[in-house]
Amino acid sequence: MKVKEIMTKKVITIKMHMSAKEALAIMLKTRISGLPVVDFTGKLVGMFTGSAILTSALPSYVDKVGGFVYEENPKAITKRLQDLEKIRINKLMEKEVITVNQDTKLSEAARIMLTHKIRRLPVLNKAGELVGIVVRKDIIKTFAKGMGI
Amino acid sequence: MKILKFFILIFISVSLGLLSRYLGLNNHQSLAVSIFLISMLGTLFFWDFRLSFVFIGTSILLITRTIDLDNLISFASLEVILFLVGMMVLVGMLKESGFFAWIVSLILRIKNLTARKFIIAVSVISALLACAIDEVTSIIFVVAAVLEICDYFEVEPTPFIIISILATNIGSSGTVLGNPVGILIASKSGLTFEDFIFKAFPIMVLSLGVTILLVIYWYRRVLNNMDRMMREFKANDILIKLISVPPERQLKVGLAIFGTTLLFLALHHRLELFWNLEANTLLLTIPLVSAGFIMIWKWRKARLYIERDVEWWTLLFFMLLFAQAGTLKYTGTTDVIANKISYLVGHNVSILTTFILWISAFGSSILDNVVLVAAFIPVVQSMEGFGFSLQPLWWALLFGGCFGGNITIVGSTANIVALGILEKEKKIKINFFRWFSIGFVVALITTLIVWVSLLWLPIYH
Repeated sequence: MKVKEIMTKKVITIKMHMSAKEALAIMLKTRISGLPVVDFTGKLVGMFTGSAILTSALPSYVDKVGGFVYEENPKAITKRLQDLEKIRINKLMEKEVITVNQDTKLSEAARIMLTHKIRRLPVLNKAGELVGIVVRKDIIKTFAKGMGI
Repeated sequence: MKILKFFILIFISVSLGLLSRYLGLNNHQSLAVSIFLISMLGTLFFWDFRLSFVFIGTSILLITRTIDLDNLISFASLEVILFLVGMMVLVGMLKESGFFAWIVSLILRIKNLTARKFIIAVSVISALLACAIDEVTSIIFVVAAVLEICDYFEVEPTPFIIISILATNIGSSGTVLGNPVGILIASKSGLTFEDFIFKAFPIMVLSLGVTILLVIYWYRRVLNNMDRMMREFKANDILIKLISVPPERQLKVGLAIFGTTLLFLALHHRLELFWNLEANTLLLTIPLVSAGFIMIWKWRKARLYIERDVEWWTLLFFMLLFAQAGTLKYTGTTDVIANKISYLVGHNVSILTTFILWISAFGSSILDNVVLVAAFIPVVQSMEGFGFSLQPLWWALLFGGCFGGNITIVGSTANIVALGILEKEKKIKINFFRWFSIGFVVALITTLIVWVSLLWLPIYH
């Protein structure tokens, strides 16, 4: 089975000049935790995920300090979250996007997701245009169907 | 621009190598000098490429038969690298167990906290943590704590970050564990952990005390402002709430392993005498034994400790840098340099101590102190042949390398790491002169303390 058979064709995208707050609002409204980011021509330029929000809200040294105790409602985090209004998503998005093409096999897409620890893969056509998205849940559903579940 | 800088670097290094022939150096010696200079200047101008420089440089030394494989491996100082690997695993475990948060919370929960008490606590924690682990790890925790607290009181963190860096660089000279230059010097000189405790630690404490008095005067207006904010925010209640860390089982076990490691490190010399072991055998193996036990205790994470917490990039650089510095000794280059220096200082140990102290202090304000100390070690070793007592020279090298880091904004890794966090978190970029105005004064005064101590106190002779 190929990716094009199970991918979602109506992809919700966000524009790279949007503020992070606007993007967050779309994520909450659509209940999607990661959205492809496109430029003015509609070309895929990045992925904006919930991790980007957490990264921008927490101090940059969190991964280095290990178990560290913070204030209950730290002012710095509140301020950073307020600043999301001023930050463009192209500053926070993941720029190195891993993609697949429409003819990629499903098991190959699953391998890419597993090895790169990602949950969604934008699908591009031969011209490099975004034509769909395949998420981990869809692959698992297809595998389950094959098992008769 | 980068390519131009690269060619300038190669040009300077090769020219100096060729010029060194006028000092009476032969082809191999000049090549060893050129390649070491490329690594030295490469670290200064192309930090991200430093490993590439030492890889290529060391290969050239082997291909040109400037050094043979056996000696290269011997000079790479595997014992120092293994010591650092052991310590990095230990620190990784402590980090995970919440040790640093607990230490910071213990000391900051001071009754009736004032800005001056805060500055003293921050300085003392910075220095002692640097002494007990290493300066780069400790500064990250201190900076994190300072930023949290300054955020709460709504005061500018910059002066407190500067103070914690100054204290960290000073503290890193207090024990063998504080700085890679400490273990490097101990390994090459035969100085023990006990020697560091009796001879380096007191100078460190004195220098720290003087620095604290100086920064309290220097930042008196900032401190008055913080006092006002602390009264407004009712300091203690919130600080206790902010940083209360209950000691959990994992932390207790972590503390026990760390405490035992420190105890054995402190006693290593006695135990070596008792078991008739070669000098510093236990000093270098105790962290490895601790790391071994940690990896048995946390066997599921053992691979993670080695892959995540051990900085292989830095350690590989150190190994090959030490090998290149060793080549200077192997080819007899350092004997020639030592002879010239010895002649210049009129065979006077006091003048030589002064020379090494101030050159290493000013040198490490620009260069990485490990690079500088690695270059100086074979020269100091060669001085023995000219009848010098080496003890004051080793201490001069240690203190010069550590205290000199306070002179400039790029003087030590701790400065770069801490100011990098400040810039990222608060968008505050400290300019050269803001740092230099206080950093230079502190470095000058503390190096003067060392200078007077080394020249006039008999225990250093």
